[in-house]
Amino acid sequence: MAAFCIRSMLLRNLTCQNLISADPTLTSRVLVCHQQVRGRRRTCKPPSWFSKRRVSIKQDITPENAKFIKDVIIETYKKPESPLKDGPWSRGTWTPRTQRTGVLAIKLGMLPQWTKDGKKFITTLLQVLDNHVINYTPPDEFAKSMGWKPYWGSKYGSVVVGALSCEPHLFSKSYNNLFAKAGVPPKRKLTRFLVTPDAAIQPGTPLNVMHFRIGDYVDCSAKTIGHGFQGVMKRWGMKGGPATHGCTKAHRRMGSMGGGRDKAGVWKGKRMPGHMGMDWRIVKGLKIWRIDTKYNVLYVTGYSVPGPTHGYVRVYDTVLKHKREHLIENGNPPPMPTFYPEDGKEPIPEEYLDDELFNFNNESISYATEK
Amino acid sequence: MNMFRFPVRNTPRKFKKSFGVGSGPAERIKKLQMLVTALIRNERLEAKESYCLETRGYVEQLIQIAIRNGDRHAETMEKADFWLLEKDLVHKLFKVLVPRYQNYSTACTDFHFLPKKVPGSGVQMGILELKGNPWPPVVPRQRDQGHLLTNVLLSSAKAEYRMEKKITPDLRNGDHDKLEQAANT
Amino acid sequence: MAAPCRKIINQFVKRSLKCFEPRVIPCRWSNTVRNHTVEKHRHSPLSSTRELVNQQDSPSDVMVPREFRFVHPDFLPYPVWNRRDRVREKLEREDMLKRRAVIDIPEFYVGSIMAVTLADKNAPGKQNRFVGICIDRAGHGLYHYFVLRNAIDGQGVEIKYDMYNPLLLKIEVLKLEKRLDPQLYYLRDAPLEYSTFRLDMEPVSVLKGAQVPLNAIKVKMNPRPWCRRWERHNLKGVLPLDDYITEKMKKQKQHPQIEKPWEKHDLMLKARTSIDDREVDQIMTEVYKRKEKIQKEKFQKRGQEGKREVKKAQEVKK
Repeated sequence: MAAFCIRSMLLRNLTCQNLISADPTLTSRVLVCHQQVRGRRRTCKPPSWFSKRRVSIKQDITPENAKFIKDVIIETYKKPESPLKDGPWSRGTWTPRTQRTGVLAIKLGMLPQWTKDGKKFITTLLQVLDNHVINYTPPDEFAKSMGWKPYWGSKYGSVVVGALSCEPHLFSKSYNNLFAKAGVPPKRKLTRFLVTPDAAIQPGTPLNVMHFRIGDYVDCSAKTIGHGFQGVMKRWGMKGGPATHGCTKAHRRMGSMGGGRDKAGVWKGKRMPGHMGMDWRIVKGLKIWRIDTKYNVLYVTGYSVPGPTHGYVRVYDTVLKHKREHLIENGNPPPMPTFYPEDGKEPIPEEYLDDELFNFNNESISYATEK
Repeated sequence: MNMFRFPVRNTPRKFKKSFGVGSGPAERIKKLQMLVTALIRNERLEAKESYCLETRGYVEQLIQIAIRNGDRHAETMEKADFWLLEKDLVHKLFKVLVPRYQNYSTACTDFHFLPKKVPGSGVQMGILELKGNPWPPVVPRQRDQGHLLTNVLLSSAKAEYRMEKKITPDLRNGDHDKLEQAANT
Repeated sequence: MAAPCRKIINQFVKRSLKCFEPRVIPCRWSNTVRNHTVEKHRHSPLSSTRELVNQQDSPSDVMVPREFRFVHPDFLPYPVWNRRDRVREKLEREDMLKRRAVIDIPEFYVGSIMAVTLADKNAPGKQNRFVGICIDRAGHGLYHYFVLRNAIDGQGVEIKYDMYNPLLLKIEVLKLEKRLDPQLYYLRDAPLEYSTFRLDMEPVSVLKGAQVPLNAIKVKMNPRPWCRRWERHNLKGVLPLDDYITEKMKKQKQHPQIEKPWEKHDLMLKARTSIDDREVDQIMTEVYKRKEKIQKEKFQKRGQEGKREVKKAQEVKK
């Protein structure tokens, strides 16, 4: 017993040392959690490396002075000293192994559309609002950082993308400093994409809906709608018990949990009541049918993009091989590392439509002329 | 988009004990009728937080339809007759409250939290009041903040900032009053 | 007594300070933005993709006829406010107006008799024409649909049409009229003579600007069994159902959980589940202006084509 105690104390000390190590240069990388956990991390606490965002300072400022502060903020960010003034970094060429950055969109809801054959289908609208690249970390530096996972190897660097510009005096200093390199106002939401080094992007580059093209396929990852702690009928669709016939307190219960003999006991992974929703989910291989450049809206196949209306959605090139084939075969690579205004022709049309999509400006579909 | 001028819950509250245990939606409306009548009569109400916030919606809606449709509208008159249990208040609604709130662009009620009583039942109480009522204010009036250090520094910074932009050449003489005037405009 | 007093004061101070603190966002909203926040960012001067407010839409210098909103119920958006979005509704309306510029969608109501021509690959003439009475009309925006009913060879037939389906070639109103009820699904349990219309029916002309006639016919229902409990629906266009229902059913009908008398004057229920009048006015003004513009363009086009044809005819004569 004593030996066990000493060992556990030693272990605790060791871990504590690692955690508290004041000088980051001494240890190349701090603590990677290799422990595998069934399920997911269900906590509201932000991770330890998360810099605090909001500040709460009670300031008795008169309305005129508050307006003055706002004016100064707007003027400073009107012509920011963007790092882009030196010209963008050299642009890589697209290969089948390339992984470009994505964008952080907002889900607007669903609309029906029709194909040229007259088939009705549902599309989801995603708006790309005010996106900027905030930071790029090359692979070797990224491998030393906190959020790195060993199975990624040294293939990927990381790009941080932010959406929705805010006023800087709402945030803490440490959070505002994240945006100094990019020269943009602090963003409401940040996300990180893994990219290959040939798709490196300079911080401060604006991203918009033209990052994608008509007919390309994308993956969407977002958090699903949260339902809180739910019973077995809503969470797993079980049948529950009977309503009458002497049923006592078993109307919505799950029934038996396990069998007898060698199958006795509650097996791991048994479906039980618990927290439902608010979970990261990825939907892969969604086609882009329509692009609205005026409002920066993507029309994407299906109604299965996770999350509620006005939820954040990470949109990036698909990882499915068979949906990337047309890029290789046709020699039609996407804009690298993203779309720059000088790439396209001027002016950019307000709307791009897929060839198979019905344009509402056209005449009705009729088969009579085919005879 | 959202036409409410005050925060609204997605789902209504169920007053399960408004008229004793087992009260249903009919009793809820009965309770709300009494609360709405009391608020229009006294212009200020102290009740449970949930009662106050539910009543708020009904009073706001009632005043808004009264403003929009006037007293010649049969449906509006029916609603006023239903919600105001004391009938002299119908006159008050159309003759006093409608002119008072006609040009408002904000909500016509205010809500304040009251502290919880300790020791006590722990019920959250609140105050709901009509704006422009004759009672003394619930929250003490804000003192003048212009002489606080942050504001003094900010206003002088504002004056300097404006002067750098050369709004008017007269201000360069260092006339402090003029500087402040320019800063305030 | 001192300790509780201090507690009360502490709590009061805390609560009064709370209003100055930024609101703590609960976990379930951490990946979602509220509607007003999105709107703020769309118009924010800090935003790189700033959307300028279009001032042409806001002032209401045009007088929209009061019937306009009843003629075009499909332009009203889905009323659940936490699922609404201004930009999506705008894009949806654009699509609808584009489609309306191509195909003529006439004024019709539930109870009108209509003929719809639909492109059909498998039909003999590659077209399919159906005549029937409109028994329902519902859906918001591009989802809007209507249902036609007719009795063909002694068999009731109902077809649901999506209003903005590009396969729709033509919509005709043969007889414009209203009925007493918002939905006529009870015709399924009425004798077939109430829903029988000739397929070669000729259109009945209506004076322009006249009020839409109301057909106050009272349908005599078949005896039970029915597809729904019609006695609970408070139907106006049906003869009294007392002969068909039992005493127990009559009692059940008056049960408060079924009748729900408290919902009649519930102002907040109405505000939560319907779209505000002011917003309806905004939408209808926008649509009215766009429709007028489209009609003008159409007239101009027709005028130019007419002139060209006249010119051609003159050249041919020469």
